Amino acid sequence: RAEFADRTLRLSNGVNQDHPVGNGVEAMRACLNEKSGGKMKIADFWGGALGGDLQATQALRSGTQEMVVTSSSPLVGIIPALGVFDLPFLFANEQEADAILDGEFGKYISDMLPEFGVINLAYWENGFRNLTNSKRPVEKWEDLEGMRVRVMQNNIFLDTFANMGANAMPMSFGEVYSALETKTIDAQENPFVTIDTSKFYEVQEYLSVTRHAYTPFLVLFSKPIWDTLADDEKAALQECAIVGRDEQRRASRALSDKSLENVKQAGLKVNEVAPEEYQRMVEKAQSVYAKHAESIGKEVVERMQAALAELRKQ
Amino acid sequence: MHRATGAATRIIELVMVALLAGMALMVFVNVVLRYGFNSGIAISEEMARFFFIWLTFIGAVVTFHENGHLGVETMVRMFGRQGRVICMALTNILIIFCCAILFWGTWLQMPINASMHAPVSGMPMIAVFGVAFFTSVGIGLIALARLIRILTGRVTEAEIAAFVGDYDDIEALTGRGE
Amino acid sequence: MTIIVFLVSLLGAMAIGAPIAFALMFCGVALMTYMGIFNTQIVAQNMIEGANSFILLAIPFFILAGELMNAGGLSKRIIDFAIAMVGHRRGGLGVVAVIAALIMASLSGSAAADTAALAAILIPMMRTAGYDVPRSAGLISAGGIIAPVIPPSVAFIVFGVAANVSITQLFLAGIVPGLMMGIGLLIAWQIVVRRDNVAVLPKQSWAERRRATTRAGWALLMPVIILGGIRFGIFTPTEAGVVAAVYALFIGLFVYRELKFSQLYGVLLRAAKTTAVVLFLVASALVSAWLITSANIPGEISGILKPLMGHPTLLLIAIMVVVFIVGTALDLTPTILIMTPVLMPIIRQAGIDPVYFGVLFIMNNCIGLITPPVGVVLNVVSGVARVPMGRVIIGVLPFLLAHSIVMFLLVFFPQLVTVPLAWLR
Ligand code: NA
Ligand code: NA
Repeated sequence: RAEFADRTLRLSNGVNQDHPVGNGVEAMRACLNEKSGGKMKIADFWGGALGGDLQATQALRSGTQEMVVTSSSPLVGIIPALGVFDLPFLFANEQEADAILDGEFGKYISDMLPEFGVINLAYWENGFRNLTNSKRPVEKWEDLEGMRVRVMQNNIFLDTFANMGANAMPMSFGEVYSALETKTIDAQENPFVTIDTSKFYEVQEYLSVTRHAYTPFLVLFSKPIWDTLADDEKAALQECAIVGRDEQRRASRALSDKSLENVKQAGLKVNEVAPEEYQRMVEKAQSVYAKHAESIGKEVVERMQAALAELRKQ
Repeated sequence: MHRATGAATRIIELVMVALLAGMALMVFVNVVLRYGFNSGIAISEEMARFFFIWLTFIGAVVTFHENGHLGVETMVRMFGRQGRVICMALTNILIIFCCAILFWGTWLQMPINASMHAPVSGMPMIAVFGVAFFTSVGIGLIALARLIRILTGRVTEAEIAAFVGDYDDIEALTGRGE
Repeated sequence: MTIIVFLVSLLGAMAIGAPIAFALMFCGVALMTYMGIFNTQIVAQNMIEGANSFILLAIPFFILAGELMNAGGLSKRIIDFAIAMVGHRRGGLGVVAVIAALIMASLSGSAAADTAALAAILIPMMRTAGYDVPRSAGLISAGGIIAPVIPPSVAFIVFGVAANVSITQLFLAGIVPGLMMGIGLLIAWQIVVRRDNVAVLPKQSWAERRRATTRAGWALLMPVIILGGIRFGIFTPTEAGVVAAVYALFIGLFVYRELKFSQLYGVLLRAAKTTAVVLFLVASALVSAWLITSANIPGEISGILKPLMGHPTLLLIAIMVVVFIVGTALDLTPTILIMTPVLMPIIRQAGIDPVYFGVLFIMNNCIGLITPPVGVVLNVVSGVARVPMGRVIIGVLPFLLAHSIVMFLLVFFPQLVTVPLAWLR
């Protein structure tokens, strides 16, 4: 007979409920409900209502909150190896990302996390990041020259854009809309879904499909609380996070296409980057790999590159 | 004793002024750099925030010493001397309790803050979160000293007056930031 | 009933005279104990995170700018300018008070400091001219509380951060309602001053007016720099704060030359202490806010308010009445910090524009600064004007009524806020 206690798991998110993460959480909730006979419940909080992703992750580590769905990028200050996902132009497409994250390399990273006080249940998708700005279409890296680009408070992103000649400014997400609106900054970079749901199209002119980075979401669980769970509960969480993942990725990809249509309708001028220019960007970005290999961990970067090489051979 | 607290207060005040001036300078220089040279110092945003946190939590002790924190004194003002003194004792016990919680929590969080680094400067976050040790110990000790004076019957009329709020001190009223 | 634990712990701690910052922490501890998740780390983490925001840095900068402005003689020149322009009119010095209050509101974000500066200069003049002093004191306090409604505003920054609403939008949205409060006061003043027999100031010549304008020009330029700077994207609200402070420093030191280098340390220290008081409160409020959200108290309340959820205007009226009642006993910043985490989810659920609500909410809280029994601005004006509190309260009544009428006009006609905002942004 399965062992389940009555539990309410507090799960926080930086994004709003209409984000594909909402679909994933819903699927996960239904799955947990079924497996636990209604005993494991999720209390979900959206839009950073319980604090930002980094704060929530710290709460997980101290055992004051159960779960968070967070981008890997804000956590680099705690778990330097996660910086590997911030490296520019790492994955070429979603299939590559899925194969690496759900494969051996993803497990290698997940296995590191308990040491930092969190358990990674699954990799969900934030998606490929693209650049919007109010100046000009970005068709080659030189077009970034002098552009004031908001980046996350993260050194790899800072260097990626600084390296291409932009004036990269770290800024918290909450300030971005008004800073774009008032033209304190010219540009920002995010997945299509975020560009759409945050209404950046209202305050930007151009969207360049640069796909310069792919960020996964981690579905993290508090290690101190995890250690108090019964085996059945752990298994249910792990399985349901995978169920949630499949639904979340499906919704994310469907919505990504729809979001791109939306922002085009809303008047953003969209340009693709020509393959040879994309290749020049990739080459230009290589110095960022060299610069940050040390802080991320040489072995992590090498393993990632080996896994990618292996995958691309097939 | 009085001279020692006086000297300590003046040193802390100097630190507060330096922090405020420092954060203003960092933010201002970044504005100038952006328009003058289309550049900026990435670390400024982060350091200004940390200065701000230090200023707040160091300053909280000095302003507590001066009874500068906002309270609602309507009810205690309705009491006579004895009622006021009882409320004062209870308040100080409540403050010591809160300080103990804050200290304990900061202590327990030490490992996770020591192992987290600020994204741009790389500074271990315990340097930021650790300021709560200063705040909880500082305020806790002041409240404890007050409690002891109350329990030993050495509390002065001036202290009681400060507790129920001095509404004639314009400097203090405008210093509440309202 | 989590609400009961929340109210009893918070009100109980405040009733025995505990500083509100500690009452909020205590309330957080009570909530987490009740929920069975007692953990001291919740307090420690949220306290520091509460102050960990670049946007909040705008607060010390605007406080510093206000301090520098008063020390540097900007306030005095603004009042002289208003006297030169409208001092000769019927009820002249009252009109001067309102105009000067509006200009000062666009330079500083502090109601208490503005009221103190206005009262110190104008009350003696009004007493000499034969105006009813308690009523004049009432007018000046009612003028002073416009400061947080017109940008820059510490109150909007605290609300914007607590509610996750754009500070820029709040600043722009506050301008027209703030001006309406000024117009309301002028109308009320003209009505109550009608039968008074007062000396009227001589009308100043155009040459005198030009001189007063030139002297005040540097100060009058400051709102243009702050608002224009934010509106046209020259800087963020935080940067606007620091630019305002540097500007006020420059004017005070080198143009008006009333600010001495030797005073600078004292000015910085005062601003630093005020910052610590406000921000320690903000930080403590995040402890209770985290637990209010965690315990889903807003959900509990919106359950109670269910019949009103489909009627935004009725809901707003109910909320405004509650905020007004809370405002009688609590001042501005604590009310914002305590009520925002409880109200905002309900406001969003009911489909009310958060910026529009922010303006109403802040205006209502400002009115709380002049409602008895607790109203820090009343205490300031009573102290500076040396009028007993009871008489100031009677003197302020007509203006309290004027502000309340303006507020309810905005409740019934949201267009008064949203249309000018759409035009400004
Ligand atoms: Na103002
Ligand atoms: Na009041």
